[in-house]
This record gives sequence, C-alpha cells and structure tokens, in this order.
Amino acid sequence: MLTPMVALERVTKRFAGHTAVDGLSLSVPPGVIFGLLGPNGAGKTTTIRMIMDILEPDEGTVRLFGQEFGGRSHSARAGYLPEERGLYPRMRVLDVLVFLAEVKGVSRRVAGPKADEWLDRLGLGDWRLRRVNELSKGMQQKVQFISTVLHDPDLVILDEPFLGLDPVNTQVVKDAVVELRRRGKTIVFSTHIMEQAEKLCDELCIIARGKKLVDGTLSDIKRTHGGHHLVVGFDGSAGAAQPVFLDRQLVKKADDYGQYAELELAAGADAQMILQRLVASGVRLSRFELMEPSLNRIFIDLVGSEAARPEARPDA
Amino acid sequence: MRKVWAVVRREFVERVRSKWFWVTAVLGPLFFGAIVIIPMKLQASGGGAKRVVVVDGTTTGFGARVADSLTRNPEFTIVGRAVFGAGVADSLARQVGAKQLDGFLIVTDSTVETGLAEYDASNVSSFRHIEALRGVLDRLAVNARLERAGVDPGLVNRAQLRVDLRTRKISGSKTTGESSAQSFGLAYVMAIVLFLVITIYGVNVMSSVLEEKTTRVVEVLVSSLRPFQLLLGKVVGVGAVSMFQFLIWLVGGTLVLSRAAALLGGLAPPEATAEQVALELPTVAAATIGVFLTYFLGGFLLYSAMFAVVGAISSNEQEARQAQLPVMFLLMIAYLSVFALATNPGSAYAVALSLIPFTAPIAMPVRWAAGSLPGYEIGLSLGILAAAIVGVTWTAARIYRIGILMTGKRPSVKELARWVRA
Repeated sequence: MLTPMVALERVTKRFAGHTAVDGLSLSVPPGVIFGLLGPNGAGKTTTIRMIMDILEPDEGTVRLFGQEFGGRSHSARAGYLPEERGLYPRMRVLDVLVFLAEVKGVSRRVAGPKADEWLDRLGLGDWRLRRVNELSKGMQQKVQFISTVLHDPDLVILDEPFLGLDPVNTQVVKDAVVELRRRGKTIVFSTHIMEQAEKLCDELCIIARGKKLVDGTLSDIKRTHGGHHLVVGFDGSAGAAQPVFLDRQLVKKADDYGQYAELELAAGADAQMILQRLVASGVRLSRFELMEPSLNRIFIDLVGSEAARPEARPDA
Repeated sequence: MRKVWAVVRREFVERVRSKWFWVTAVLGPLFFGAIVIIPMKLQASGGGAKRVVVVDGTTTGFGARVADSLTRNPEFTIVGRAVFGAGVADSLARQVGAKQLDGFLIVTDSTVETGLAEYDASNVSSFRHIEALRGVLDRLAVNARLERAGVDPGLVNRAQLRVDLRTRKISGSKTTGESSAQSFGLAYVMAIVLFLVITIYGVNVMSSVLEEKTTRVVEVLVSSLRPFQLLLGKVVGVGAVSMFQFLIWLVGGTLVLSRAAALLGGLAPPEATAEQVALELPTVAAATIGVFLTYFLGGFLLYSAMFAVVGAISSNEQEARQAQLPVMFLLMIAYLSVFALATNPGSAYAVALSLIPFTAPIAMPVRWAAGSLPGYEIGLSLGILAAAIVGVTWTAARIYRIGILMTGKRPSVKELARWVRA
C-alpha cells in the first residue's frame, strides 16, 4: 500500500469552551482529489490548519508524506490556499509571488521565471508589475492561487477554493485543480458545496461537529448510503403529485423543488407503482429516472439539520 | 535561515522603495538642522539694534551717562533723549505704536537710590536686549552709588572684572571640543531623535504585523515559517531600514551643518564670525555616536518587540492606536526627563532611569552627552538592557504566535498571560 500523503490519527483540537476537532482520523492516498466536506463550523478549517502546522493538535498525530511533521517542515512540497485570502496590498504582483515562494524555500532565481509563466497562463501577464491593490478581486484570487502552486508542490491544500469566485473564475480554478491531478499531484480541498465535491472528488470525508461521519471513495459512499432514489421532473405544475409524495407506503422521503423532486423509495416499494400513480394523478412528467442519490442528499441525511447548526465558536 | 532572510529582504526593500522613506530621509536632516540653526539664527539677528529713547528724569547726570553707555552698545541705537515730564511717556508710546521707535527707557533719581527703572518697548521678551539693558543700568547705578560714597569707580571696575569661564567636556580622560551649552544641546537633540526614531520604527514593526494579520497573509506565512522566524525577520528588516535611514541622515546632516557655517557667517556680527560659528557647531565625538547607535539599537529591539505584540493583539488600526499608548508612555518617561537628566546626569533619578531597561535607551545617551559616565555604569545598563531584550522578545514571541491568528475581540491581560504560559 502506498504511503498516504496526509494521515491524521485521532486528532483532537479544543478551543476555550468547545472541541473543534474530535478524534478525527483520515488518510489521503497520493494522486487523488480528496474532499473534506462538512457544514459551516464543522472543523474543516481547523483540521486543515493542523495539517499545515498553523495549529498544534491537542491530541493525536499529523503525518505528511509519511513523516511525523506538519506542513511547515514540508513547505517546499506543500501548497496551501487559506480560506481567508489575502496578499500584501501594496506590493507588486510579481514581488508577492516571489516572496511567498522564497518563504517556502524556493530560490529567487527559480521563483521569478515560474511566476511569470503562471501569470501568463492565467492571463495576468500585463499585471505583473502592478500593485496587488490595483487588481480586481477575481485577479487577486488568481494571484493567490498561483502563490499556492508556484513552487510545484506535490500536495495542494485548498480551503474553500471556490468561495467568492464568479462562474468564470470557478471554471479556471477547477481546470487548474484537474490539471494538477493529471500531473500526479494530490489535492485536498474543503467545501460545503456538494455539487462541486461530487464532480471533482475521488475520495472524501464528511465531518460534522469535529467528528467524522463517513469517508471513502465517492462511489463506495454512494453505494452504502444510497438507498433507492428516484428523480422526477415535471412539465408544469407538480401540485397534483403531492398525495403520491406523502404516501409513506411508497415514498420514504421527498425533496420537492417544485419543478423537480428527489424521492427516496420506502422499503419494498416499487418505482413502477409510483409512475402509475403519478400518471393517474394527471401531472405531466418530463423526467422519470431511477438513480444514485446526489452527494447533497447523502450529506443532508448524514449531517442532519441538528448537526448543521454550529456550536458557538468563540474563536473562529 | 533563508526563509528569515526572505522576510528581512521584503521588509527592507518594500520600505526603502516607499515614498515615505525618502521624504523622511530628506526632511530629517532639514528638520534637525532647523532645530539647531533657527535658534542660532534668531539669536544672531535678534531683530538688530533697538531704536531707543532715554527719558531722563535724573538731576545728577545719571541719565546722560546711561544714554552715553548705550550709544556705545551695538545692541542699541539711541535716537534721542527726552526730559521726564507729564505726557512724555504717552507721546513716546505713540511713536512705538507707529513703529518709529522700538522702546524707551525711563531713568530717575530713584534708579540709583532704589534700583528702579522702566523699559517700555514693543518687544520685551528679547532676553538678550533686556539683559544688556539691565547690565548697563546695574553697572552705572553701582558706579554712581560708589562715587557718592567717595570710591573711585575705575578701581571698582577693575576689581569687578568678571571671570570668563570656558567650559570643555572631558570624556574618558580626553578633553573634547564639546562645550557645556553644546553638551546640553546635543543631549537634547539626541533625546528627540531617539524618541522619534524608536517610535517611528517601532510603529513600523507594529503596522507590518497588523497588515499581515488584517490581510490574512500571515496564515500562509505561518504555514511556511515559525512565528518567531517571521518576527525576527521583521524586526531585523525594519531595524536595517532604520540604520540605512541614519546613514542617510548622518551624511545629509553633515552636509547641512557644514553649509550652516557659511549660512551663519553672513548673519553673525562680522568680528565674531569665525570663533563664534566654529564654537557653536556641534563637534560630536565618535564615542558619542557609538553610544547613541548602541542604545538606539537596544531601544529599537526592546520596543519593536512590544510594538509587535500591540500589532498582534489588535484587529485594526484603531485598536492598535489605543493599545500602543502604554508602550508610548513607557518610552516617554525618559523623554520627558531629558531636562533633569541633562542638567544633573549624576543624580539618583538619572542613575535609576539608566538602569531601568525601558528608559535606558534614551536616558543613557542623554547622560553621556551631558557629562561623562563611569564605564561600569554603561556596562551595567547595557547588560540589563540586553537581558530585558531577551526576556521581552521571548514573551512577545509567545503572544505574537497566538495573536496573529486571532480575530475579533482583543484579548484581556489575563488571556495574554495564559498565552505566554501556554
């Protein structure tokens, strides 16, 4: 078995009055995109900060590349994009990039040309000698992303990488992440947006209130937590379908979006039966499909509405 | 170490690149030059000779002698003599109002008897002129009294020949060119420079910490280097900028002062020029510069660690401005004691201030400039200062480590104590 890139073993972190991460163990194999999922306040950022050596765990161990050291000792091999972005506003773009690479142990001679290369690739070549605060938010985000990957790290850790990005930049970052994996890099990213995780992740771990709820490959999780799911799309009003959704003999749970609904079948229920009842009710169907549950569905089922409410965090 | 070097380099380059650095570099010597030159210039010109009328209310010819004596004094031009009478003072006052006169002096018989005279002028705060008048009146009144008692005033004048005390400071066992007035001036200027520069560069460290904290750059940095490395790089970097600034000032200041001689040459009375100007330009011994820089460095290291803590525990500029006050007060104690330190550098108070590490960086150079100091005192004070730097930096680093990642409420003193112990 390959040495995991990141391995957490029963890691616990307490802050005054509450436990942010509680006995969390996880393992990230090399070459995958690993999603760390959880509702707000679940402990994702705290976990990542412990991986990056910004916080020390109260209990448990963090290993990177098989060694019992966190991100700081491996700063040349690890790239980190924090949740709260920020660059020196009055520095020139190129200088910031070179400085942040230098701090990770890359020499200036190497960092300079690489920064230029990346700036060109992300369409910021003309801005290299401008000050950071002259750039738009989106451009600054790109610069920050470059600073994360400039030193060609084997492990890239992204805390909420899509937060606050417009669709165009979301696409840019997503492409870059996929490209990194194609080149054999390992990417760990946290998010609470399941649609993205579902499209990108090979493996994932869902946490809530600092505890692991489930982890594994995406397909395994879908298989074990799936149940029978049905997607129904309506052409026009779905009002007449309500009695069917509420029939607990057939439908265990219905997630009704108006034009579209996700149904979880009751034990022993038959999808054909539901189709018949829907047709009989007079609604016009545009879609009727048996499928795996969405990650979003699994997430909500697992986390539950109770756990989604974060505890008071005196120290966010 | 390469990581620390990167931080040092960034702090240095970014600061030296900024407009403010060069504005300070240029204005610094001009400012300090002005502090030295303007009073000298004012003293040298002093508005020129005063046009004065002597109002003579004496019956003994004393008034005539006063007028005569003042005529020979370059500070005064006697434009006339008036006999004391009703309305004379009023009409002269009108002339003063119309700027035809600078003032008038009233002497009466009682001037000799009781030592009372009156000088009414548009400017009675010119210390030099008032002193000159008083000197003349004093001498003549004494002469008149002696004469009346039958003593030869010439004999008395010879007997009263004043001693011209020339002061030269002995530093170590060598006589320096520094005079006492100069020593005081130097001590004073040093205190101002030390106070300003420690504050300016301390606040520089503070805002640098705060900038990294508010922009959250610090999180990336701390994932790459230890907080202590970051703090070290910052303090060394800003310290290097301050040293560079001094170098510029030293070169610039020397230029300004060498020009000052020429400048003053045109203003001082011609016969006094060479000697006077040469004397009044500060001749600063190399040892003095050494003491100054050593204590500046010590003070900067001590205070920048404290300012770094202020930056680390604040979440914005406003909070930082409030939180920096205690640190500023600490530094101000020595600054406000400059007068006491310079006039009495050997007092118990002065010794105490130079042993307390928070006041020593200003107190010691001031005492050094004002009078010579025993070597063991300098050694002791430097030793305590060095120990304090280590202690304060250690404490500061422990608070800094946690503070830079904190957002929201500023921690209480109790919390800070917990961070230090943690």
